[in-house]
Amino acid sequence: MPDLDKLHQAVIEGDWKAAAAATQAAIAAGVAPLTIVTGCLVPAMDEVGRLFECEEYFVPEMLLSARAMKASMAIVRPLLAAAGTEPVGRVVIGTVKGDLHDIGKNLVASMLEGGGFEVIDLGADVAPERFIEAATTRNANLVALSALLTVTMPSMKTTVDAFQSAGLREKVKIMVGGAPVTQQYADAIGADGYSESAGGAVALARRLAVV
Amino acid sequence: MRLKLISCEVLFREMCDACAHSQHQVDPEFLPKGLHDLGGKPMAAKIQEVVDRTPEGVYQAILLGYGLCGNGLDGLIARHTPLVLPRAHDCIALLMGSGERHQAYFEENPGTYYRSTGWLERGQGLQQLTHNTMGFDESLEALIGKYGEDNGRYLYEEMTRYRSQYRKLTFIETGLEASGKFISEAAAEAKEKGWSFERLAGDLAWLGRLVDGEWAEAEFVVAQPGQRIAASYDTGVVKVQT
Repeated sequence: MPDLDKLHQAVIEGDWKAAAAATQAAIAAGVAPLTIVTGCLVPAMDEVGRLFECEEYFVPEMLLSARAMKASMAIVRPLLAAAGTEPVGRVVIGTVKGDLHDIGKNLVASMLEGGGFEVIDLGADVAPERFIEAATTRNANLVALSALLTVTMPSMKTTVDAFQSAGLREKVKIMVGGAPVTQQYADAIGADGYSESAGGAVALARRLAVV
Repeated sequence: MRLKLISCEVLFREMCDACAHSQHQVDPEFLPKGLHDLGGKPMAAKIQEVVDRTPEGVYQAILLGYGLCGNGLDGLIARHTPLVLPRAHDCIALLMGSGERHQAYFEENPGTYYRSTGWLERGQGLQQLTHNTMGFDESLEALIGKYGEDNGRYLYEEMTRYRSQYRKLTFIETGLEASGKFISEAAAEAKEKGWSFERLAGDLAWLGRLVDGEWAEAEFVVAQPGQRIAASYDTGVVKVQT
């Protein structure tokens, strides 16, 4: 399918206009919307994650690839919804209370969306109650918490504890990330998973979503 | 006592003042603030290099003019000489004089940018140690030049959007400002960004106790030879591991 090759290339190269055009062309040629996601966008974003891991891509390149992927998703999403296609999982994501730094979180949100998840992005400086409310009303099975500062990391624990107190801890898997966060910290606060990178976050979310 | 101080240059004026007033002989060495841009592990590795080339048997302790600094001090090992590190998250806490004061101010003033003499005169152009892989300090023109008009503008918006979440600029005044230029620069920066501006009185007593050898358990962590400094993720900020 040449159209999907073009789309794959457009996402890797961060060309959103080419991505949108290739998506339109694929749909016009009869490619199923879900095939566009699982057969093209997911592997393309996986490749972007790999390029980032081996330091061929940096934050700007990732942001541009995410932009191209989103341009494609904007066309595909309504078709998936109309067909009643279920996402791989539903993730509520945000930076924890007190933390305003959201570039990393935005990247992870894009990578998850490109990975076939429905992403409910609550933005920055999100209080535990808002995470709980969104997870409940949107029936999410994953919650992703981000922090950039060691000062705000305790808010991750507060949020995990709040899910526990609300009796919802068994209903959602909680994953954590951000520059100062470590696997040890994730274990210490009772989170279900930690990833060092945005690409790794998608793999982690897939693992957690099927448990 | 003879003490070695390894400090971030962002505290240059404050540390020079503290060393000058110390009852001990302190040999300071300042490292580039750009170490922070490397991230936690590489930053710790760079500081460890300086710790490791400190001669044995000369100093009673090596003082670290840092906080946990985004895990940039996590994993540091004391070789032959003890390491002393304040239980601070970062230099802002050190300039405020206590972790409690910093935490309270942080919570009461969300969305605040901090400035001090070091942040003003040594805060710009800090990419000297990295090849600017993040792109955060790139100008709109540079991004357009590199990624084209449309994508360049998009990246600039994405990477500067967090600034709109800030509302306030606080200048921590220590009394070491040699002229009014620091305060006027900070005030001008706040005005340019449309933020409110506050002058907050700093407190250098904590730094003073670091170089004076008054290392109370509540304020400092002391790693003996063979021990390692680690992030503790609690109110103690850092701990010692054997």
